[in-house]
Amino acid sequence: MFALALGISLLGMAAGPDAVPGRTAGVPTAPLRMDLWGDYTCPHCKMLHEQLLSRLMADYVNPGKAYLVFHEYTLTGPGHEHSKTASLYAAAAARIGKYQQVSDALFLTQTSWAMSGKVWEAVAPALTPAEQKKVQALFKDPSVAAEVQHDLDLGNAAHVDRTPTIVLTHKGKQTPWSYWNDYNLFRSFVDTEMKK
Amino acid sequence: MDSSKDRILKIAVILLRVAMGGIFLYAGYVKLKDPWELFAAGIRDYEMVPNWAADLLAQTLPYFELLIGLLLVVGRFLRLSTVSVSALLVVFFSLMVRAFVQGKEINCGCFGPNELISWKTLVRDGSLLAVSLFLTVMAFRARRTSV
Repeated sequence: MFALALGISLLGMAAGPDAVPGRTAGVPTAPLRMDLWGDYTCPHCKMLHEQLLSRLMADYVNPGKAYLVFHEYTLTGPGHEHSKTASLYAAAAARIGKYQQVSDALFLTQTSWAMSGKVWEAVAPALTPAEQKKVQALFKDPSVAAEVQHDLDLGNAAHVDRTPTIVLTHKGKQTPWSYWNDYNLFRSFVDTEMKK
Repeated sequence: MDSSKDRILKIAVILLRVAMGGIFLYAGYVKLKDPWELFAAGIRDYEMVPNWAADLLAQTLPYFELLIGLLLVVGRFLRLSTVSVSALLVVFFSLMVRAFVQGKEINCGCFGPNELISWKTLVRDGSLLAVSLFLTVMAFRARRTSV
């Protein structure tokens, strides 16, 4: 009986890349899985985080329709010199359950630290002094760096070619979406996909 | 000698026409198997037409591609189908070149999502355009010589 229940539960799960604890929202058994790849220096990611994420949560995650998994897709090159530092702090914060708070802080002050490189100054106010110590220690942990690199590798394997991109997984089929100028088109796309 | 050359040319035209038809059938199919919004997003990324027109195109163009592909494969209405395919490819290729020159990092939208415009896609679509123009010329020439 337990095996049957477990089997049904696993069948209902939206399969997808590894989910890192602390960087997810919703229930893993939701019929739809959304893997969101973003970078903290990307202006469109800031827009998605600050203007669309709450709508996405309200429409799909909170009602239990979708399981949202956040991934780092660390950009390189001009304008993205401090991307990796930000990704490492976010991944470190996830280890102590402060991923969303640090993400909020990083996006809020993106234009400032992305230019100055003062990433820690943006992160610190989101944490208590005790949490700051933990995050600073985890920041230097090789396993956190490996996790960030693993996220990038997963994104490349899922054909992510720009940020932000959500890879939608439904009934085993993965479809990437990266057009964010019209949330209604995204919603229509997700609803159409869910009807299949 | 001339008839041998003509025969080779005829066979080449048939092969190219069927191949081009197959490519258009495939292009239409891969767009229809995904929700239309995915193709609409791709068209909107080009920033050439209003959103409503992009949505309309996304819902109709794949069927047009299927129709043209079918006509090319079966060899019916050749003047119409070859002119249509050439006109489409002129538009597609021009838009892709424009986006590439402008440095836009957008999907080509040619055969579904996940294909950024690059030299590779430009060479591929440029080659398709060359073949379609050749087929168009041959379709009209065949009609004239048969009269």
